[in-house]
Amino acid sequence: MPSDGAGPLLRAEGLAKGFGPPDQRVQLFSGLDLSLSDGDFVAIVGPSGCGKSTLLHLLAGLEPPDAGRVLVGASDWTALTAEGRASLRGEAIGFVFQFHHLLPELTAEENVALPLLLAGRGEAEARRAARELLVAVGLSGRAGAFPRTLSGGERQRVALARAVVRRPRILLADEPTGSLDAAHAAEVFELLAGVARERSGAALVVTHDPAWAARCSRTLRLVPEGLEEA
Amino acid sequence: MTPEVRGRGWLTTRGQAVPALFVGRAGQAGLTIDPGQARSLSALAGDALTVVSSRTRLSPLGPVPITASLLLGGIAPAATGRREPEARLPLEEARRLLALAPGEATGYELRLSDPDRADEVARAAAAAAGLPVTTTTWQQANRPLVLALRLERVVLFATVFLVVVVAGLNLAATSAVLVATRSADAAVLSVLGAAPKAIERVFVAAGLLLGAAGTAAGLLGGAALAVALDRTAAIPLPAQLFSLAHVPFRVEPLDVGAVAVFSLLWSYVAASVPARLAARLPVTEVLRAV
Repeated sequence: MPSDGAGPLLRAEGLAKGFGPPDQRVQLFSGLDLSLSDGDFVAIVGPSGCGKSTLLHLLAGLEPPDAGRVLVGASDWTALTAEGRASLRGEAIGFVFQFHHLLPELTAEENVALPLLLAGRGEAEARRAARELLVAVGLSGRAGAFPRTLSGGERQRVALARAVVRRPRILLADEPTGSLDAAHAAEVFELLAGVARERSGAALVVTHDPAWAARCSRTLRLVPEGLEEA
Repeated sequence: MTPEVRGRGWLTTRGQAVPALFVGRAGQAGLTIDPGQARSLSALAGDALTVVSSRTRLSPLGPVPITASLLLGGIAPAATGRREPEARLPLEEARRLLALAPGEATGYELRLSDPDRADEVARAAAAAAGLPVTTTTWQQANRPLVLALRLERVVLFATVFLVVVVAGLNLAATSAVLVATRSADAAVLSVLGAAPKAIERVFVAAGLLLGAAGTAAGLLGGAALAVALDRTAAIPLPAQLFSLAHVPFRVEPLDVGAVAVFSLLWSYVAASVPARLAARLPVTEVLRAV
């Protein structure tokens, strides 16, 4: 498992984020601290609009915090250039969206292989790794299928495979079962837990469903003052 | 090199007369006049015409014009590009009308295997003659047409330039729409670790592909059209004015290359601006909007 072996994989210190102009500022949270270590499988819960997705974006280096900093290993997102952030994100972070966000022109195999191709790996190697992972998520016969021909559950499984194909140190999932029915949601969550254990160092799952949160090793509630144990 | 004899005089028949420039050339059989002259004289092929020279000969009654009676062999426009109508007649008849000795000529016509060297050859010929002579090249004889074609070429180049510029703006608009419709995909690529430069390259490549396809289609279509217009003599020229029967169309590799290079460069510029915007999209805002 790729990890620097010492200290937390991801650390957030004194994070603050809000929206809007100064006179109409909506503060989502402030003073937020978080530490993820190898083997952590953490759920973040909270009401809609409390900033759960925004927190994931900050942790993934997709937008800067108003205050505080996020460290991936020893690297501070804000100290990196755009190219450096992209490189670190591709290498260290796997991201699963609520909606699959697969590229419609690519097959399931090509979608899964995409992060490896972006990392400069050879096409044959990337396709082989993608096929192996599709077998692991139960889609061995659907490698050549385009997203429009896949069911919602299958698309989310492809998205999950894409998120972990580079064996990221941290897997971030934003309501990964939010767009699925109960049966498919259970399948995808089990799979998420499995691949997170096997291919990733730590996982952070945003969910509004207490049942899924209870399946995680630790549950944190997002409140304006930061994160508290649920 | 062929000798020719040029003179001025009149053509007369049935009591009607028109002033005429007459030209005698070797190989010319019988009298051929311009359609305009034939109309003025109401003359038809086979009619007997009298060519009256401006030169005179002495007779017991005093100086009288030299004349020649000839049967009208044909009615056709001259192919020399001169604006003035010509009557063409056998070389020996022309010599007799101008009272020239056998072997004498008023001028010589030179046909070159490389017409573009006409100016150079004309200068050399004038120098070699050792006499004050007047030279007329085909470009001078067809100056109005040459100038018109040169102007047409400039106008066409300006038109093509504007067409390419407008096409480039269309490409920029298409690229902008592409960026707008595929912004979510660009955001996802960014989340997957694609650097902004890589995303920019994807959109530039898409724009360049469109531009290259358009350039190739335009060049192939334009070349095919030029060949077709030339082969079918699609734009005829008035034969009374010009020696060329139609406007010539030729595909010039240098022109094609210049248009292709400019089109591709402009495609790159047109695609670069939206591509740069795509690379700097606020990822999280795009993802929230999906």
